[in-house]
Amino acid sequence: MESIIQIKGLTKQFPVGAGKFTALRDISLEFHRGEFTGFVGPSGSGKTTLLNIIGSLDTPTEGEVTVLGRSIAHLTHKQSAQLRNQHLGFIFQTYNLFPVYTVYENVEFALLLQRLPTAERRKAVLDALEWVGLTDKMDSKPAQLSGGEGQRVAIARAMVKRPAILLADEPTANLDSKNSHHILQTMKQLNEELQTTFLFATHDEKVMGYLRRIISLEDGRVVKDEEIIMDKITEG
Amino acid sequence: MLAFKLAFKNIFGAGYRTILNIAVLSFAFVTIIFYNGVIDGWNQQARRDTIEWEIGQGQLWHPSYDPLDYFSYQDAHGPIPEGMREEVSAGRLTPILIAQASAFPQGRMQGVLLKGIPPGQAILKIPTHELEAQDGQVPALIGKRMAQSIKMKEDDRLLLRWRDKNGAFDALEVTIAGVFDCNVPTIDGGQVWLPLAQLQEMLGMPGEATLLVAGEGFTPTGNTGWAFKDHDYLLADLNKIIQSKKGGSGVIYGLLLIIALLAIFDTQVLAIFRRQKEIGTYIALGMTRWQVVGIFTVEGAAYSILAILLGALYGGPLLWYLGKVGWAMPSGSQDMGISIAEKIYPVYGAGLIITTVLLVVVSATIVSFLPARKIARLNPTDALKGKIQ
Repeated sequence: MESIIQIKGLTKQFPVGAGKFTALRDISLEFHRGEFTGFVGPSGSGKTTLLNIIGSLDTPTEGEVTVLGRSIAHLTHKQSAQLRNQHLGFIFQTYNLFPVYTVYENVEFALLLQRLPTAERRKAVLDALEWVGLTDKMDSKPAQLSGGEGQRVAIARAMVKRPAILLADEPTANLDSKNSHHILQTMKQLNEELQTTFLFATHDEKVMGYLRRIISLEDGRVVKDEEIIMDKITEG
Repeated sequence: MLAFKLAFKNIFGAGYRTILNIAVLSFAFVTIIFYNGVIDGWNQQARRDTIEWEIGQGQLWHPSYDPLDYFSYQDAHGPIPEGMREEVSAGRLTPILIAQASAFPQGRMQGVLLKGIPPGQAILKIPTHELEAQDGQVPALIGKRMAQSIKMKEDDRLLLRWRDKNGAFDALEVTIAGVFDCNVPTIDGGQVWLPLAQLQEMLGMPGEATLLVAGEGFTPTGNTGWAFKDHDYLLADLNKIIQSKKGGSGVIYGLLLIIALLAIFDTQVLAIFRRQKEIGTYIALGMTRWQVVGIFTVEGAAYSILAILLGALYGGPLLWYLGKVGWAMPSGSQDMGISIAEKIYPVYGAGLIITTVLLVVVSATIVSFLPARKIARLNPTDALKGKIQ
């Protein structure tokens, strides 16, 4: 499998008052195309920070993070925006949908930035809404959707541009069990069909049941990195 | 284009706040145009009236004449220069003779200026044809303000006393042949207009004048010793008054504009705090920070564009109506010594409208950009968490 993310000796510190808080300590990891991997651990263990750095929303204090051949620490604002726009998708715990846009417009947004022709955009948006089963809601505003529907719109928005990597930060934290499974099954299906690499930050047991690789973090350190065998996944 | 599309979508989605901002800004926009329209209308009216009623196409002054120094009037007269007599005969110059005198309306005494003017002149709008001699009476014209001040009306008789060129006092009773209504106070208040030949005879100054008013077709040539004063000179005081008036009204509409811009500034500052997650999401989805700054800045500019459209919608008919019916000046305005009509008809030139549109759009864009700059420095992960301080 092709290696698309390499992390070597990553340390991330944040200034806190006069001192510094170390969120990640000397982390080295590698991820391949098509992985369905989760960072698990308690709050403050560094899961979100790690996702943010991989997503080029933040930079390492020490060490090297390379995503799709680009060193995150050396990207300009414009280059990192381009990386996110072309190759990365994000799903947030609170969906982060734009409230004044319709479902269609929310999903279309990423493609507007890519300046795709209207017809091409429309086809991609309708495909994405079909993946998540929300074609009939495309003219609704986010406020008119249920939590599960909102998160499915967020998945469609993240997947519409067919990113190489999708970063999901606690995607099921605000959902009930039924919606969580629905969302996870949708993501699993997209992972298999499109070979998108999914990286989760989660402490939701339901998510863990779908993961093929679980990386446990504690106090900013990787304490366990385990591959999950296939029959266990199907049970999940 | 994307920034415009997003900005308009965002502000349409913002509901009442957008309506408030647009309403206040459009009010400022319409008021600025109206105030400037009134000033421009007044300016045009005052210029036109002053030219038509007082200064014509310029004036030739006797070397001793100083309109601000009444003591100069005693010596400010002389024979009409040789080279100018032909122009006077051809009707391209109108001679005016000025002298100080006292009037005795209804037993009271009041200082007045006697002004002699040929009854047949056609350069100034003063109805001098009413000064044609009738029934052996000496006709006199006065303005409406003067008539109100001395409580006289047409056909009333007014006693005048003056000193002739030798310093001897003389007196005469004149008949008010007409009362004219004009907006130029300098030909009205404290002035009695008489036939030129009559005044020349009263003063013992045949063939003399104090100044010559030029009409169309007159070209000042030759050295006659009389100084030619053109419009730039004669209208300088009026221009200064209008400029100062413009400055004063500028303060009023400046305040209005500041209130409107403060509303936009406040909205944008609030938006940046309230919409942190949205900003973080824009960046996460692949926008650069400056593109996000662009959206917020364009939002401010979009307020101004919508305000202009709204202003055009209700302000257009309103301003057109006011331009038709005029804007009544407060009573007493005419007594301030400024050429001002009872009604001013605002004039809205293309320059005024374009300048105001640019002023509103540029200032709204600037006040939106100022708080939006903060986005360029923010950390997207803090924005996503809603932690911007």
